[in-house]
Amino acid sequence: MNCEWVQQNVTLYLYNELADDARHELEQHIARCQNCAAEVAEQREFQAQMNELPVEEPSASFLAAARMLLQESLETAQQHRAWYHRFAFDPTAWLRQVRFSPALASLLFLIGFAGGIGAMYSAMGKGQVPRTVASSPAEASMIGGITSIEKEPGTDKVRVQYDKRLPESVQGSVSDPKVQDLLLYAAKSNENSGVRLNSVDALTSKADDPRVRETLTYALRYDSNPGVRLMALDGLGSFVKDDIRVRNAVLEALLNDSNLGVRSGALHALDPVRADSSVRMALQQLSREDPSEYIRTESKRMLASMPVID
Amino acid sequence: MPAEAVAVPLTVGPGLRTPQTRRAADETSSTPTDRGWAVGQAQSRMNDTELIREAQRGNTAAFEELVRQYDGAVLRLAYHLTRSEQDAQDIYQEAFLKAYRNINNFRFECSFYTWIYRIVTNLCLDLLRKRQVRKEDSGVTTDSEGGSYDLLDQVADVRSGASPERDLMRRELGARIAKALQKLTPRERMVFEMKHYQGLKLRTIGEILNTTEETAKNTLFRGTQKLRAALRDMR
Repeated sequence: MNCEWVQQNVTLYLYNELADDARHELEQHIARCQNCAAEVAEQREFQAQMNELPVEEPSASFLAAARMLLQESLETAQQHRAWYHRFAFDPTAWLRQVRFSPALASLLFLIGFAGGIGAMYSAMGKGQVPRTVASSPAEASMIGGITSIEKEPGTDKVRVQYDKRLPESVQGSVSDPKVQDLLLYAAKSNENSGVRLNSVDALTSKADDPRVRETLTYALRYDSNPGVRLMALDGLGSFVKDDIRVRNAVLEALLNDSNLGVRSGALHALDPVRADSSVRMALQQLSREDPSEYIRTESKRMLASMPVID
Repeated sequence: MPAEAVAVPLTVGPGLRTPQTRRAADETSSTPTDRGWAVGQAQSRMNDTELIREAQRGNTAAFEELVRQYDGAVLRLAYHLTRSEQDAQDIYQEAFLKAYRNINNFRFECSFYTWIYRIVTNLCLDLLRKRQVRKEDSGVTTDSEGGSYDLLDQVADVRSGASPERDLMRRELGARIAKALQKLTPRERMVFEMKHYQGLKLRTIGEILNTTEETAKNTLFRGTQKLRAALRDMR
């Protein structure tokens, strides 16, 4: 075993990919060869450095959102293959998993919420400072927008005025108005479905507040992600009796939602008000003509268990 | 696919825990335990075979169970590799849809594990190749939708409580590493990802990439050298 061989195999050694005999020999070699020992140390340091880009387990909500989308795609694919059984990834079980996941302990860390703070920056001459602005992602990512650029006449100086975005975080009870405002904002306008799912989940505990219910209703009606819609539905369920707007939104979901999981959730949420005339009519319609056998059967069952009405 | 691939051992890092065992581990957060994992691992080949047979007969519940066993690992790999939730999500969807459509072509010549990883790595390689064409050297790169995102933003801050300065330093280092990783060819990137970050054995990586263990070794060596040089240059 010579130094060249060792240098070629340090990587394999540290990744535990050398055969036992080769490993033993390599260890004997580095015990007496300083150069190779240094190479091992350097490679070890390199590996430690690479770990600064940590591998994180996908959060429960990210996974749940992915599964919900997959369920939809599989149902579509399944129709092509004409399988009889429908996919039922048991969305409520996922929600339970989302709810108890440790990821949610840090729920209220709303990272990256952009607050616009005006900042001034004078760029001096070509080729000096501007390079650091343009090439450093650290700076570039903080720039919210450039508002003006003025050139000083007769010199090579320019004054660039821009807004800086600063990440901030807030931690507190869901009842805290500031936190609640952020959650309401995130539930409606965040592009990341995982963030929306988490905010809707946090808000469900405060659904007795009409403002929160309004946001949950919005999510149930318009959110593009079925996981978020299902979560919103879960929070609204107990208000179908007392809040007519909630009842209407759930009824709308039952009739029109593209996701079968959301529709069956809506169906069950409406059970306590199944005697209500609008719900009854919807159930009758669904029991006759819904494409999903599950919805047809369940609607029939709910109609059959209806108290006799004059 | 080589016949010997059937015997691929499922000893690949912490990633392959099923959601059930992962949850069990999470519940006892301070001392993560792999309770049931060893047993589950021994049984998993047999279970997979049964599940695949059932799925091939048209049992959707069996296919769902297969998805549940592997999807956490798939999402983790895709997200770490692409640093984009949207791209990871797309790869996840496409991989399992492909698996679903082709489950009847699965001939048990390799493990389901190797098979699903093969699908995922091919999708990842496609994406990396597309990105490489569009790559700009500013640290701003594009996701598959063509939208741009910043590498720094992709180094998510999950370690709460750290000071803002330390946090920024960590994020900058993360961005530097991400930039260095961009210097690799898609294949080198893939091998490095599977070895360094996902902890797979080189033999498994070779099988997944339809190549020999020796080739995987050489690719890993080349990739590592490039990364070390790139990080040195950035100092």
